[in-house]
Amino acid sequence: MKIKERKRDGVAILEMSGKLMGGPDAEAFDETLKTLIHEGCRNVIVNMERVRWVNSTGLGILISGYTTLKKSGGELKLLKVSDRIENIFIVSKLFTVFESFQEEDEAVMSFS
Amino acid sequence: MSSKIEIKLPSQMEYLGVPDAVLMEIGSDLDCCKRSLEELGTSVIEACTNAMEHGNKLDEATPIEVVFDVEDETITITVLDHGPGFDYDSWQPSDELMRERGRGILIMREFSDRVEFGKHADGRFQIRLIKTLEPDTEDD
Repeated sequence: MKIKERKRDGVAILEMSGKLMGGPDAEAFDETLKTLIHEGCRNVIVNMERVRWVNSTGLGILISGYTTLKKSGGELKLLKVSDRIENIFIVSKLFTVFESFQEEDEAVMSFS
Repeated sequence: MSSKIEIKLPSQMEYLGVPDAVLMEIGSDLDCCKRSLEELGTSVIEACTNAMEHGNKLDEATPIEVVFDVEDETITITVLDHGPGFDYDSWQPSDELMRERGRGILIMREFSDRVEFGKHADGRFQIRLIKTLEPDTEDD
């Protein structure tokens, strides 16, 4: 998994690509969020457009990130989740937790 | 169409995409919808995650084996590891929504028609995923 980071209107946008599956991915994602929190940026959008698939350990990474940001007073929201990944969120009932958007403008505005 | 494909993978997460890619290739020759094929792909990724992590303890030198049996649109995938396995009959899904682990069996079960756990004749632990793929439609 690769993570590219940029900021827009005080919101961090993490462009993820590849496969989200635990192991080193968890450390990289956790480290990125900790750095953002340290910098005072607590609202994060994870762009999933280029993520091919997620397994249960990958879901755990997103849950951990969601919890970390929530505890620091921020939020983690999802952008452009594919139908394949959305199905996993539906069966695991996590679609009730994560706010998800198809348009970046809409996702950024949801924090204001 | 009837065929059997066997692959061995080192027990490292970076290889989890291989069985999914093999399945997508098999599916490209079948009259099945993309969603149905992807559901089985998600199941096999979970079965292999379980086999690598819990079965073979991510030991690169101890491979998992994945066997694809294709009989028309019904695919049976057997994932074998060298671990002791677990007691599936006493397994209960957790209702803790924000748990970070423990969704693998749920995902396999939701996205396959049938999931079987047990010992292979040679003593290895095996997970069998069985699914009849839905036919392709114009809506897919």
